[in-house]
Amino acid sequence: MTAISAKGLSKYYQTVKALDDLNLEIPENTVFGFLGPNGAGKTTTVKLLSGFAHPTAGEAWVAGEKVGDGNLALKAKIGLLPDVPAFYDWMSGRDFLNFIGELHSLPPAEIKKRTAELLELVELTKYGNRRVGGYSRGMRQRLGIAQALVNRPKVLFLDEPTSALDPMGRRDVLNLILRLRENTTIFMSSHILSDIERVCNMVGIVNKGKLITVDSVEGLQKKYARSIFEMEFIEDAARFVESLKQIPWLAEPAVVMDNGTPKITVRAVDIERGRKELPRLISESGLTLTRYEMTMPSIEEIFVEILTNGEKK
Amino acid sequence: MKGFAPLFKKEIREQLKLYRLVIVGSIFLFFGLSAPLTLKYLPDLLKMAGEQGMVIQLPAPTAAQSFASFAGNIGQLGALIAVLVAMGSIANELKSGTAIMTLSKPVNRSAFVISKLLAVSLTFLISMVVSSLVCLAYTVWLIQGTAILPYLGLNLMLGLFLVFCLAVTVLFSSLYKSSLAAGGIAFGVIIVQGIISALPVVGKYMPGKILDWGTGLLTESDKSYWWALGITIAAIGLCIYFSQRFLKNRDL
Repeated sequence: MTAISAKGLSKYYQTVKALDDLNLEIPENTVFGFLGPNGAGKTTTVKLLSGFAHPTAGEAWVAGEKVGDGNLALKAKIGLLPDVPAFYDWMSGRDFLNFIGELHSLPPAEIKKRTAELLELVELTKYGNRRVGGYSRGMRQRLGIAQALVNRPKVLFLDEPTSALDPMGRRDVLNLILRLRENTTIFMSSHILSDIERVCNMVGIVNKGKLITVDSVEGLQKKYARSIFEMEFIEDAARFVESLKQIPWLAEPAVVMDNGTPKITVRAVDIERGRKELPRLISESGLTLTRYEMTMPSIEEIFVEILTNGEKK
Repeated sequence: MKGFAPLFKKEIREQLKLYRLVIVGSIFLFFGLSAPLTLKYLPDLLKMAGEQGMVIQLPAPTAAQSFASFAGNIGQLGALIAVLVAMGSIANELKSGTAIMTLSKPVNRSAFVISKLLAVSLTFLISMVVSSLVCLAYTVWLIQGTAILPYLGLNLMLGLFLVFCLAVTVLFSSLYKSSLAAGGIAFGVIIVQGIISALPVVGKYMPGKILDWGTGLLTESDKSYWWALGITIAAIGLCIYFSQRFLKNRDL
């Protein structure tokens, strides 16, 4: 089942294309990471998909509902954490969650229970009766996540959920997202690449309003895999390195020290041949292999490559 | 109007928590007290301030004068206070981002607008009722002679005019993210309609004319301005309608 679908979704501000022809299908229970530099169109996309901006062209469906401002059924099925969550500072955290529960027309007993659960989940129980005006940035972010979960949303939009947090706060929020992904589809925009790599199983990269690529994290890593192989042996492998230098489809074999351990790196000129033939060469060398790896690029490296060189065909 | 009840409850709590009722109530109470007190004690004050031997003859104050003075304060300064209090009602929420937090839930934008207008109107109407009762009590006590029904009519007109001022301000508050811009334009509109209401022919259609009708009741004037009354009520409705339309059409 598709949780989020967009067809030709575009948003122009006069001549500026904030989002241009977005076509996207996100299956249910996916944590979708929407990556892009500042001003790429991430927040615009979140606003369009949650019904807070009017598209110049195109249409979208979220949780089976057509996206449009007047569609209250859509709002009952989604949760939204804006990039800078704002609250009524005179309310306490508990008051605010109760208020959101009332807006979702939950019965009073359910509101009380859900508020207590969510304060516990975001570790704000101790501060639940304190005025939101006195909350730190991290506490506000966590309260923002809690308010987005009051209605147990089918689709959760998180716009830069970790940008304002310290390392501990970031870790807590990411752990929370990992727990939620069991029964919620999460659309998470961010420019913190390590966060996306940690929690997302599908990634979209956007730049200058254009969606450049969409794939699973593994798919992207395979697609952008570099032809570098790394090996470690128990014995001295100097003679093996010398033998690799004679092979025409390999280049730059070298021994590099990695935390005091000698590591052999070699680049395959022909990556497919390297994948097939290198294990055979290692086997024939008679050395005892302790590690063999074709190095995978991080999402950060893929992101930089895509933004610099465009998508790999 | 899905979401109206919790939104209205929140707005009422906000009026109390941010001391709006206390502040508006105190200012209106001052208006209610000052009108009869000033009228009653003005001759004594002038006598004390004047030179020895100087005689200033003032006619004996009447209840109608006291009520008209009260109406003048509410109609002018009350309108200004209404603009100041309501100008940020939606604009501040749009600017701070609380509007997006609330409107991302299953609530109608009309419920959002109406709950705000109703809550702030209640603050002003309660303040007005209390101050007008105080004005009435002091007038009866100090000046004597009163006509309850004309005074009631005057207060109805004053209340309606204040709601009109609030509705106009809420309208512009939904249009601009700057509360100063919203307040400035709303105040301008109220001033302009006030000026037009003094003109012949078109004046009788302006909301400001209902204040003349109200004060006219005190002097048993038989002039009525039904058109102005109808247009004021219609304008309040139109302000609500266009506020929610503006909110619907804008990107948050």
